[in-house]
Amino acid sequence: MQSDLSPARRPREGFRPTQLEAKGRRVDTGAHVTAAVALGETVVTAHGDGALRFFTGDSPPRTVAAHRGAVLAMAATGGEAVVTGGDDGRFLRVSVDGTVEDLAGFAGAWVDCVASHKATGLLACSVGRAVHVWRQGATSPEMFGHPSTVGGLAFDPSGKRLAVAHYGGATIWERGGRRWKSTKLVWAGSHIGVTWSTNGKYVVTVMQENALHGWRLRDKANMQMAGYPAKPRALDWAGDAPHLVTSGADEAICWPFDLKEGPMGRSPLCVAGGGKQLATMVRALPGHPSVLAGFQDGAVLMSELDEFAEARVLRGSTGVEVTAIAVTDSLSHVLIGDANGTVLWAPLRTGGENAWPV
Amino acid sequence: MTSQVPVTVLTGFLGAGKTTLLNRILTEQHGKKYAVIVNEFGETGIDNDLVVNADEEVFEMNNGCICCTVRGDLIRILGGLMKRADRFDAILVETTGLADPAPVAQTFFVDAEVAEKTRLDAIVTIVDAHHLGTQLEESHEAAEQLAFADLVLLNKIDLVDTESLSRVEARIRAMNPYARIIPAERCGAPLDTVLGQNAFDLQRVLEIEPHFLEDDHAHEHDDAVTSISLHADTALDPEKFQAWFGRLLQENGQDILRSKGILDIEGEPDRYVIQGVHMLMEGDFIGPWPDGEARRSRLVFIGRGLDGMGLAEGFAACKAT
Repeated sequence: MQSDLSPARRPREGFRPTQLEAKGRRVDTGAHVTAAVALGETVVTAHGDGALRFFTGDSPPRTVAAHRGAVLAMAATGGEAVVTGGDDGRFLRVSVDGTVEDLAGFAGAWVDCVASHKATGLLACSVGRAVHVWRQGATSPEMFGHPSTVGGLAFDPSGKRLAVAHYGGATIWERGGRRWKSTKLVWAGSHIGVTWSTNGKYVVTVMQENALHGWRLRDKANMQMAGYPAKPRALDWAGDAPHLVTSGADEAICWPFDLKEGPMGRSPLCVAGGGKQLATMVRALPGHPSVLAGFQDGAVLMSELDEFAEARVLRGSTGVEVTAIAVTDSLSHVLIGDANGTVLWAPLRTGGENAWPV
Repeated sequence: MTSQVPVTVLTGFLGAGKTTLLNRILTEQHGKKYAVIVNEFGETGIDNDLVVNADEEVFEMNNGCICCTVRGDLIRILGGLMKRADRFDAILVETTGLADPAPVAQTFFVDAEVAEKTRLDAIVTIVDAHHLGTQLEESHEAAEQLAFADLVLLNKIDLVDTESLSRVEARIRAMNPYARIIPAERCGAPLDTVLGQNAFDLQRVLEIEPHFLEDDHAHEHDDAVTSISLHADTALDPEKFQAWFGRLLQENGQDILRSKGILDIEGEPDRYVIQGVHMLMEGDFIGPWPDGEARRSRLVFIGRGLDGMGLAEGFAACKAT
């Protein structure tokens, strides 16, 4: 909001459709795609009508009615399954075979965030200010309280620690034997998402004020990663010399975590630009130093993590915001979901002529 | 692009009649689908699938702007509601009687995603005609809620006599000259006079003439919240106005609760319309001045301690020479 006496104008341009789109399957579900995760060669989408949809190979997707309202969060978990949280107050485990298991119910509340750690079998979900954590095989959860509503949840790579984002910073819960102990990471403002660096040494949160905030856990040193025109809601880690890839600008913003000091005092790498639209979703290409970025106008670009790399258009502009992207483990297929519930499921590994250079 | 879902904010003291109105909205046959966001520890006790509990958590933005206190829970809940397949025609947000309405309103200005997908329709304040006097004396929140209102549902008028009623109306009017006052018994006003008001549309600022022009109001110095109307028959210098208004909001944004204005900017054929909540302000050129009507700038402030801000002098100095 500003008091400028001259109205702002923003030009609109778009990318034309690609071969990859033409070869893919388009499914109109009519319900906002709220998340997508890969389980090996299957990609699961979660929707605003409470359904999950499973896409595998050439067969049509299978629909599983899971929640009664919108699916608010989803994470992959062991045993070819996902865990989901919904605005019906339920925390579910849904398997590839379609089995729906009720893990917990919170009447009259929303299950906003979920997290899973495959190796340890730990599961977590947040309901308001509380986080509920299940150890593998446990029937009842442990409950952690926080000063305000939880905005994000993430287990560290070892599964020993859980990061919880909320107002005023984040809380790190660390498991030692039978007990969990908490440490506070303080930074004013509202923190609405959280992730761990792949080496477990940094915690980074998404902030309400169009910025990321990071902490080096060793000494709780603060890292401010600001300058975004919008909230960098989507995060992923890409490459072996890992970069934290984020949405929230008109290209994918990739913060280097390859050196000892992390991104401190360094500039991010900016790739997959050129569309003059805000990136709304980003995903690393599994096993490769490449990223996929989805934009507000529906376009999806792919680029290597190299500032001189030429981005390619995987999917042209549709006019509808990209809300989910996932790629199967073998890179056989890419899935792109949008705010209107349209899903594109397309073969990815069929040669470079599928995609346009930007 | 999907259209923005209108959001009505419902404020008012405990017992004023918020629950009665919400129950009517949720149960009456009106062919529309409303989601209702109620406060967690509220008095409503309404059990309905369309009711979402909120915790009224406010936080200050980390940008140093003291007026950027917003409701994070509202950002989260509105974001969640926008994902549902069965979309809503409108959303209502109920606040507790003791809540400051500013953070709710500011949320719609400050958060880009909320602003893109929803729009603030109106702030509706329900007032108990019988108890307003006492409530204004006992707490500043009552005055704040009246100051913020686009619409005052003056409820329980059957419990007061005509004389007290006009006294209450005059009191509301002195604090907030542009709110529409709708008298009602048991919240019995037609719903279409309460919902779908589009009060934050700059176009609507143009329609608030009736009380807008009343010069300089009757000050009631016992109320901390007052209003001041200013006008000018000479065109304004855009640079001078921007500088003055910007500085004014920066320095006094805490105390200026709301502002609205229709301005004649020198060299511009169209009317410049502005409105603000604390220091957040929006403005745009909307349509030419009507034929045969004088190009007269009008500006209204509602707030605390307005007398000490040199508003009349500052505004007068913005005239183009």
